[in-house]
Amino acid sequence: MTTKTRYFVIASLLVLGVGMGSGLVAYYSSYPMSAFMRRGGPDEFKYVPADVSVLAYADVQDVMHSQLRQKLHDAVPMSENGQREFQDETGINIETDIEHVVAFAEPGSTGGPGGMVLARGTFDVPRIEALMSEHGARVEDYKGVHVIRVGAHNAMADLHRGMAPSDTRPDRVGVPGANDFAVSFIEPRLVAVGNAGLVRAAIDQKNSPNVTSNEEMMKIVRSLEGGNAWAVGRFDAIRKQAHLPANMASQIPPITWFSISSHVNGGIRGTVRAETRDSEAANNLRDVVGGFVALAKLQAGSNPELQGMMHSLDVSVAGNTVELTFAIPAEAFNALGALGTTKKPAQKPVGPVGH
Amino acid sequence: MSDSPRTQPSFAASAARIFDLSLGQMLWSRRSVFLALLAGGPVLLAVGIRSLVLIYPDALPRVNGALVGGGALFGMMMWLLYIRFVIPVLGVFYGTALIADEVDDKTITYLFTRPIPRGAVLVGKYLAYLGCTILLVLPSVVLVYFAIVPVGGSVGESFPALLKDLGMLAIGLAAYGAVFAWVGARLKRPLVIGLVFAFGWEPGVLLFPGYLKRLTVAYYLQALVPHAMPDDSTVSVLMQVFHEVPPVAESLAWLAAITLVTLWAAGRAVERREYVLEQ
Repeated sequence: MTTKTRYFVIASLLVLGVGMGSGLVAYYSSYPMSAFMRRGGPDEFKYVPADVSVLAYADVQDVMHSQLRQKLHDAVPMSENGQREFQDETGINIETDIEHVVAFAEPGSTGGPGGMVLARGTFDVPRIEALMSEHGARVEDYKGVHVIRVGAHNAMADLHRGMAPSDTRPDRVGVPGANDFAVSFIEPRLVAVGNAGLVRAAIDQKNSPNVTSNEEMMKIVRSLEGGNAWAVGRFDAIRKQAHLPANMASQIPPITWFSISSHVNGGIRGTVRAETRDSEAANNLRDVVGGFVALAKLQAGSNPELQGMMHSLDVSVAGNTVELTFAIPAEAFNALGALGTTKKPAQKPVGPVGH
Repeated sequence: MSDSPRTQPSFAASAARIFDLSLGQMLWSRRSVFLALLAGGPVLLAVGIRSLVLIYPDALPRVNGALVGGGALFGMMMWLLYIRFVIPVLGVFYGTALIADEVDDKTITYLFTRPIPRGAVLVGKYLAYLGCTILLVLPSVVLVYFAIVPVGGSVGESFPALLKDLGMLAIGLAAYGAVFAWVGARLKRPLVIGLVFAFGWEPGVLLFPGYLKRLTVAYYLQALVPHAMPDDSTVSVLMQVFHEVPPVAESLAWLAAITLVTLWAAGRAVERREYVLEQ
């Protein structure tokens, strides 16, 4: 090898090496390995039963302070009535008080996606208890922990009833007030919000086997590292809860698990995964999803604002897993916001006939 | 003086010697200007876009009115410049020339009269092609990445995609190079046939549904691309509609098979063929 060739090889490898090194540094600084992923889940997992059908997590502070949220806030006039109503009733400001939330749904719940939310943050407990009492809630003691129960007559319970159905687990059926809405500070910086029966069960759950013993679910949870909001679920359990007609249920692909992971910052970048019974089912599902994606891309051709979003859709299959990746830039939300706020042209007043 | 019998060098040692000899020849030949243009063009384009954005922050390109961020722009450049053009072109021009150039220059006799297997000549030259193109194309992609992605994108977030891109390009160069090395060793007028294959057959059959697309390198290579296919033209939209993506493992297996089989066939062709040098 001549000296000239040797210099060329060195220069080329140097460019590659420096590029790879810089990229790796940037990669690891943009995705610090979160502490909870190293330990196999956030502390709140100890209150989550092992047999949950859906488990979700959101880093509220990360999402609230993301560039996307700020842009959306500026671009789209969002109604904050729900958030304000929740604050009026509970004294909890979702935007400032909560750091992260873990939510789950249990297979025992019927009639819809029932479950509980565990929120970690900074709370003014006496004030919240006083405020809720003012609104008709009753503070009870359950195994040394205050459970603030809101009766069926309460507006907050009405709001909650839409999200969380009755607790029908055998040990909870017939327990007075088991289906009321309840709030409990089960740890100094941890509040459980949900169905009263489930909140009490969470207090009981503390030393029982929890979701971290569900190796199948935890394997998927660990694979979602990097997202600041994610959800994992057993699709068969959800399908059972949905009580679909037999002919419709038979048309649904044989999905066993699903997961959604997203990283919210300047936009939303995420992955939707579905695990199927076998690779044949995965290929079929990939074909179906791929068809819809192609159709969506064709549709977006006439809607330039959605082009960037559609560009990012990509479907792939690996073994039994079908994966749809997407990246929605902030511009797409801006465009959607602009579409939503576009003023309709003023309608011509209809004058009296024959005037 | 002892007359120890000369032993024939092994296949690997012969290929390594040819590699060493050919790498310099390939890098500093007239064809290098063409290679430099292919590798340097996208870098100049990327630097141009970056400079423009620095001077005019609103000058980011738009596709049908939608603003294109750095990551998406890099993905588009990967598809339109590297995957659809640079990689097949390098494969065609360098792959077909591995043996054909020696025949045209009437220097193949010098190689074939050496006490080395003829197949090692082809393998050594193929490895030199691979080294030469990888050492030029991959740094070019890295430079384009660092010039373009920070414009409205995040280097850290898209870095895994860059690694996939680099791996995919190296695999593509290997597969196209092997296919065209075989074409060059086996057929007359390999350049014309190579160009027809790369820019006629491959894009043509990818436009239609069916199994013919399995007879292309692009079908398997495109399955490894971590970026969405751009719909920059009607042809691209059609390609998207009929875009079947084979599983990554299957694609890798097929690309490996294509590379090994065509390289073996090329070596066999070189071993058996009698090259007639025109006077």
